Amino acid sequence: MGSLRDVLSPFTAWKHVIETPVTIRNPIGREAADGYRGFHQNDIEKCIGCGSCEVICQNAAIDMVPVSDPVDGDSGLRPKIDYGRCCWCALCVDVCMTGSLTMSNEYTWVDTDPDAFRFIPGVDPKPWDDLEKGYRREGGRVLTGAERVEMGELAPEARIDNFDEIVAGYTREQAMIEADRCVECGLCVATCPAHMDIPDYIAAIREGDYDLGLQILYETNPFSEVCGRVCTHKCETACAARHEGDPIAIRWLKRHIVDNVSEDRRLEIVGTPQTLPTRRKVAIVGAGPAGLTAAYDLARQGHAVTVYEAQDKPGGMMRFGIPEYRLPYAALDRDIAVIAAQGVKIETGVRIGHEITMDRLRAENDAVVLSIGLHIGRSTRIPGTEGGGVETAIDLLRRITAGEEVPVPKQVLVIGGGNVAMDIARSMARLQKVKHGAVGVTVTALEDFAHFLADREEIEESLEEGVEIIDARGPQEVVRFKSGNRKGEVKGLRSWAVTSIFDDKGRFAPQYDQGDERLHPAEMVVEAIGQAADVSILGEDLTEALDWNRGRLAVDVAGRTSEPWLWAAGDAVHGPDVITAVADGHRVAASVGAMLMAMGEVAR
Amino acid sequence: MMRDLHDHLKTRYRLGDLAERRGNLAFVDVERADLRALLVELRDVHGFTHLSLLTAVDWIEEGRFQLTYLMNNRAANRTLGLRVFLDRADPVGDTIHDLWPTAATYQRELREMFGIAFPGSPRVDEEFILEGWTDMPPYRRDFDTLAYSQQTFSDREGRETHDPRSHMAKKLYPEGQR
Ligand SMILES: Cc1cc2nc3c(=O)[nH]c(=O)nc-3n(C[C@H](O)[C@H](O)[C@H](O)COP(=O)(O)OP(=O)(O)OC[C@H]3O[C@@H](n4cnc5c(N)ncnc54)[C@H](O)[C@@H]3O)c2cc1C
Ligand code: SF4
Ligand code: SF4
Ligand code: SF4
Repeated sequence: MGSLRDVLSPFTAWKHVIETPVTIRNPIGREAADGYRGFHQNDIEKCIGCGSCEVICQNAAIDMVPVSDPVDGDSGLRPKIDYGRCCWCALCVDVCMTGSLTMSNEYTWVDTDPDAFRFIPGVDPKPWDDLEKGYRREGGRVLTGAERVEMGELAPEARIDNFDEIVAGYTREQAMIEADRCVECGLCVATCPAHMDIPDYIAAIREGDYDLGLQILYETNPFSEVCGRVCTHKCETACAARHEGDPIAIRWLKRHIVDNVSEDRRLEIVGTPQTLPTRRKVAIVGAGPAGLTAAYDLARQGHAVTVYEAQDKPGGMMRFGIPEYRLPYAALDRDIAVIAAQGVKIETGVRIGHEITMDRLRAENDAVVLSIGLHIGRSTRIPGTEGGGVETAIDLLRRITAGEEVPVPKQVLVIGGGNVAMDIARSMARLQKVKHGAVGVTVTALEDFAHFLADREEIEESLEEGVEIIDARGPQEVVRFKSGNRKGEVKGLRSWAVTSIFDDKGRFAPQYDQGDERLHPAEMVVEAIGQAADVSILGEDLTEALDWNRGRLAVDVAGRTSEPWLWAAGDAVHGPDVITAVADGHRVAASVGAMLMAMGEVAR
Repeated sequence: MMRDLHDHLKTRYRLGDLAERRGNLAFVDVERADLRALLVELRDVHGFTHLSLLTAVDWIEEGRFQLTYLMNNRAANRTLGLRVFLDRADPVGDTIHDLWPTAATYQRELREMFGIAFPGSPRVDEEFILEGWTDMPPYRRDFDTLAYSQQTFSDREGRETHDPRSHMAKKLYPEGQR
């Protein structure tokens, strides 16, 4: 329906009827100035459908409409403009972070159908689509800050002889500036495995409302303190701001919220289960992020949950894998305390398959969740790996966490190019610095630097700490002394240069240049080439009964195995990181909860 | 050069610090009571004969309007901006149409767009570009342009928009996966 103004405007125009017109009788064909703001153009390949143009338009002239399927970092929506409303202000062009939206200098167009003036620039073809002239955002003009607020870190000299946390965390002022860069488009939410409400908690920082921020974090992630420190932050690869400069420091902002809410206040805000106990019992095997997230959800639904953990402390790889300088144990403990406060029983020092069998768990519970992670370190099995002086990274990391004595020779060689390799290299470097006053760690990786698996920051920080990284080397043999008083001890690693890693079908089949051989001297070799799940705990019958998928337990989308009482989550079935384990924990808990509810209905 | 001028004028007028933007462009805060005398001296003694523009800024957080008088010395290719602050609750400026006739037009615009009064300025209360305007002056920052345009102009039928985040959720992880 027309508004009052639509009805009245024609009458107010009558008063001009006797004046001499100032309009040009026939404007068609008169070219506008070079920088004129005429009909829009949109480079559809560049546009990411963030909707910032729609939000800024003060005339509500823009609708976001589906044009293609959404993918990471692109909603698949594109702006459709109603020129009955547009006032040609170009705010939309100024705000567009990809620079896809521009205006041609074409401003004349006659049509009797008003709906012809609603179209999707770049999708609905128009004569001005390829015009060079018109309004473009000036080069340096950016409405949101393009640079990320820099994070304070311990200098290499200050951190190399200890396991103190390296990253300082943002101050309130820093966090406010960083939060201000976010346009709240929400493109990042789909990419986060747990679909955390990123723009909402960033908005809470802007409002200075940390209680609200924490509440939002807990809606999707009971490991926000951990993730605020070590998350692989895939969301940042989808952030709209990366088209204009640095992506928003989503991970650091998450951490900033948790850093600003005391532990007591956290317990108050999250509270305890608000439902009556259901008297349903769930056993969870493994107290990593997957198992503990499932436990958190199920306990809040009112079920009795017991988590069995083989180690003497909960946390899984968050405690026994990730080094303390990246994730202090106290931070992890605070996340776990909130979970335990939900009434979750965590039985540590109990290895299922040893102290308690799977059969017994099944008999005593309504459902069982397997979240055992990957705790067997893989070996290259090259000659010489059998015997003393050869370790796996995750076993060494576990022993360091547990406070056990580990061998710290002056020269260590690490095989592997991923983040785990960096973690053990940097941990050994610290121990060496304390024991010998000098770092002597060499990392050899199959990949060349252009294709390295470890994160760039990890590589940079390792190098800063004095770790030597040699790329494109294939391990051939752990060489041992053949005679003398060190007979049998490790002398070093023999390697060949790598010429290619995969064959033309994309299968792992490394090729070497045998002429380029080196011996890397070392007293200890550490293998960091991957981990496997210890599924021997299942026992023969269960292993036989279950469906498998290339060595991994097969599960449906809800995480249920082929046995109706057994679910599996986390690294053991999916991987590769904490946030995926958290997402998995939620999924499994939802499925288990639905099953328990159904059981309750039948029993009634 | 601009600095010399500033030092020179500072002895007789209450001026703020000189904010130099470029070699030939600078701004300075001026007391409202000193404005007229300073404009006259700049025009008649220092060659700033041209009023390039007169405009305003709404510093809503500070409760005041800023008037900016951009004065240009063509011969020396220099521009000096004088900034005068008015109480936002009762914004009244002093007309200078007798110094530069064009000021009357600027003042009429400021009256309409910001609601700043300039008593004595010719035709200052007549409509300028807004016809039949009844709302708050639209350049004030508390004027909600979007709400106004939505109330005033109706949408064409069949318009429908999508929020990127919920659209992606619906397409990529429909039910139960969150
Ligand atoms: C060195 C290293 C560094 C990493 N760095 C990062 C990082 O920076 N960011 C990131 O996001 N991810 C990182 N990861 C990966 C991340 O830690 C894992 O993806 C995540 O912990 C997997 O969670 P989960 O719950 O599936 O398993 P886990 O965390 O592995 O937990 C499984 C738990 O089950 C227990 N368990 C196993 N078998 C039994 C049994 N029979 N009975 C009882 N308990 C049992 C184990 O002791 C363990 O506590 C890293 C991993 C490693 C190894
Ligand atoms: S602001 Fe730019 S990138 Fe975002 S939807 Fe609009 S045109 Fe596309
Ligand atoms: S030019 Fe201005 S009015 Fe037109 S669509 Fe863009 S923001 Fe809206
Ligand atoms: S963090 Fe980036 S992608 Fe996410 S809402 Fe903010 S600007 Fe958009």
